[in-house]
Amino acid sequence: MGAPQASIRRLALTRQVIYVLVAAAVIVPFLVHFPLEGKPSRVTKALFDKVQALPDGSVVLFSFDYDPSAMAELYPMSLALLRHCFRKGHRPIVMTHWANGVGLCKELVERASSAVGKKAGDHYVLLGFKPGYSNLILNMGESLQGAFDKDYYGNPTQGMPALEGVHSLKDIPLVVDIAAGATVEMWIAYGRDRFGFELGAGCTAVIAPDLYPFLQSGQLVGLLGGLRGAADYEVLLERPGSGLAGMQAQSVTHVLIIGLIIAANVAFLWRRRKT
Amino acid sequence: MWFKRTIPLLICFVVGTLAFVHEFVPHPLAGTFRQEMTTWFRIIGGFGLFIGAYSLLHMHVTRIRRRQAGWAYSAFVFLGAALMIAFGLYNGGAGPLAPPPGEDTMFQWLYMNVQVPCGATIFSILAFFMASAAFRTFRARNIEAALLLVAAVIVMFGRVPISEALSTVFPKAADLLMEYPNMAAKRGILLGISLGMISQSLRILFGIERSYLGGGD
Amino acid sequence: MSTPDVEISSTRRTVETIVLVALVVAFVATTLLVKWPADAPAKLSLDGLGIILAAGLTLIMYSFLYRDNPLFKVAENLYVGVALGYGAMLTWYLSLKPEIVDPLVTAPHNGARVDFLFGQMRIIPIILGVLLLTRLSRRHAWLSRYSYTLMVGWGAGIGIPIVAHSYILQQLEPSVRPLAGGFWEALGALVVLVGTVSVLFYFFFSVEHKGAGGVVSRVGVWFLMISFGASFGYTVMGRVSLFIGRAQFLLEKWLGISL
Repeated sequence: MGAPQASIRRLALTRQVIYVLVAAAVIVPFLVHFPLEGKPSRVTKALFDKVQALPDGSVVLFSFDYDPSAMAELYPMSLALLRHCFRKGHRPIVMTHWANGVGLCKELVERASSAVGKKAGDHYVLLGFKPGYSNLILNMGESLQGAFDKDYYGNPTQGMPALEGVHSLKDIPLVVDIAAGATVEMWIAYGRDRFGFELGAGCTAVIAPDLYPFLQSGQLVGLLGGLRGAADYEVLLERPGSGLAGMQAQSVTHVLIIGLIIAANVAFLWRRRKT
Repeated sequence: MWFKRTIPLLICFVVGTLAFVHEFVPHPLAGTFRQEMTTWFRIIGGFGLFIGAYSLLHMHVTRIRRRQAGWAYSAFVFLGAALMIAFGLYNGGAGPLAPPPGEDTMFQWLYMNVQVPCGATIFSILAFFMASAAFRTFRARNIEAALLLVAAVIVMFGRVPISEALSTVFPKAADLLMEYPNMAAKRGILLGISLGMISQSLRILFGIERSYLGGGD
Repeated sequence: MSTPDVEISSTRRTVETIVLVALVVAFVATTLLVKWPADAPAKLSLDGLGIILAAGLTLIMYSFLYRDNPLFKVAENLYVGVALGYGAMLTWYLSLKPEIVDPLVTAPHNGARVDFLFGQMRIIPIILGVLLLTRLSRRHAWLSRYSYTLMVGWGAGIGIPIVAHSYILQQLEPSVRPLAGGFWEALGALVVLVGTVSVLFYFFFSVEHKGAGGVVSRVGVWFLMISFGASFGYTVMGRVSLFIGRAQFLLEKWLGISL
């Protein structure tokens, strides 16, 4: 009875020591500043160049398909993209497939637009949420105003200045999906391959490896993967934000976890060699 | 049986076949058909949320009624939902207590200060669990496990800026690993899943796969 | 997810309760004592109280790392309720009300209502939506099959050509096209082709993986292991980023530390 209890207590202690180490690895770098900026990746630069190359005043559709659980990774890149659009004078159209993400979309677009004096309806459109997923994309592909007859604030989308020249997805040159789930694949199959727009993506680090086949095939023009993707975009935009600020903590924590894994494996291989 | 099983399966077959065939019909009627159907499903989808809501609330009502372990906490589910619905309904329409322009509603306030921190924090706890689990269980017991471990270390190190400060080899190695062997495996998995999806869709259309009908007949 | 059960003595429980109360007092004291930046909202304003509430809920959630506790259970259930209410309200205001209720209730005259229901055929999705809800009744659940079969049939039918085009054909061509390029491009394409084929073969269980097939299957397993390792690395990155986000919030917004 005593031995299993002792081993469980030891297990719990080891776990709690690791928790403290991880917490320290994240918090301490915020308090002890040291410069750390990486070279933006090729796939992030590709999306940045795409937004940059669009003629000023172009319409860009953003689908912010995430909720608060993925906010830490996706909010910084969403903000950076919106800022880039407003800087270029583009007209972002913002929507989401996730009901629980609408509040974040609202907060994001109002924060980015108010800093540069842009107004809803005139310079950007917040469409909000509608259920349907792939059916909604198919709807929008035929008629954007038919799918969303009013914006989030209740204003009719028909005749809205920010939507001038836009009747469906076929009139939009670039769509960017910021995703915490499988919506990127959905946008590729039901949107991009049917209606001919270019598609960029931002996603949580968890699903980033799954999207590389679409990058190679050209179905995605660029990809922001996780907080590193957000940091890279902020470097390209020359506007540091919370993405870049998190890179010190990210680096130190990764080194810690790698160290723990290597130490555990060295001990394991040593024990195995002895027996 | 006719109304409970045969007709629904017939509907599935007919609608599915029309959905498949209309993709290859250039006539404007095909576009109108698609537009109409997708609008219908958008509307039906709105009703679907209430099934989930009812199931969740029913589960908590049962827990309270039967005084199951932790039943008192279920009251907070109803409290949270009632607050959100009350503020949503009250502030949703125009009225004397609607917020002045430029200010946010209590609905948005509750979302930003309750739902956002709770949702963000619950998933961030996984960082600790991952670190602990990696230390306790991630072992190179054989070649395959060693490959997995080495790939993980290359990616974890190569994708943070600190590695670039040491050498540009690390981020390049991570990029090469992502763009070649990782991409190949993911493409293989994607092709396999896609073939499976097509096969499953055909099974659904022909009524061989019926689990979506639910229990009973 | 919870820590394994260890026998906890009543003394330890008492100590832990005292510590919990002390931590709550410490939270309140810290909140009152820290100095927020000049541009931050006032602590007793709605925004300020929101930050304090968010910080409190964040720390309560993290208390789960030590052990499940009453405060965590309260916060967890409150979160579930708030999320449910939020989703319901958004679906009502952004979908059901504008698509169904407003055209019926605020229609200028009966003719407009009739046109909406029968002319535009909106009566059909309304009936199907109501039938969907019968899923909750054990006796009448079979009625919901009419809605489900329509949706599932449509999804299956339209999915076949879309999946074949976007996920198969569009993926096959770039797998072989680079073989015709320069040396390094062709080498990379060869690696990709070998990897893709061997992984596909690994999942083909109708043939026994022996001999040459066994070698191909083994190569497929190696590619899969590399891919899973990459996914693990990215997953660690993702989870750590989530904690970084919360740490940034606590340090910047709650403790007023400039980062």
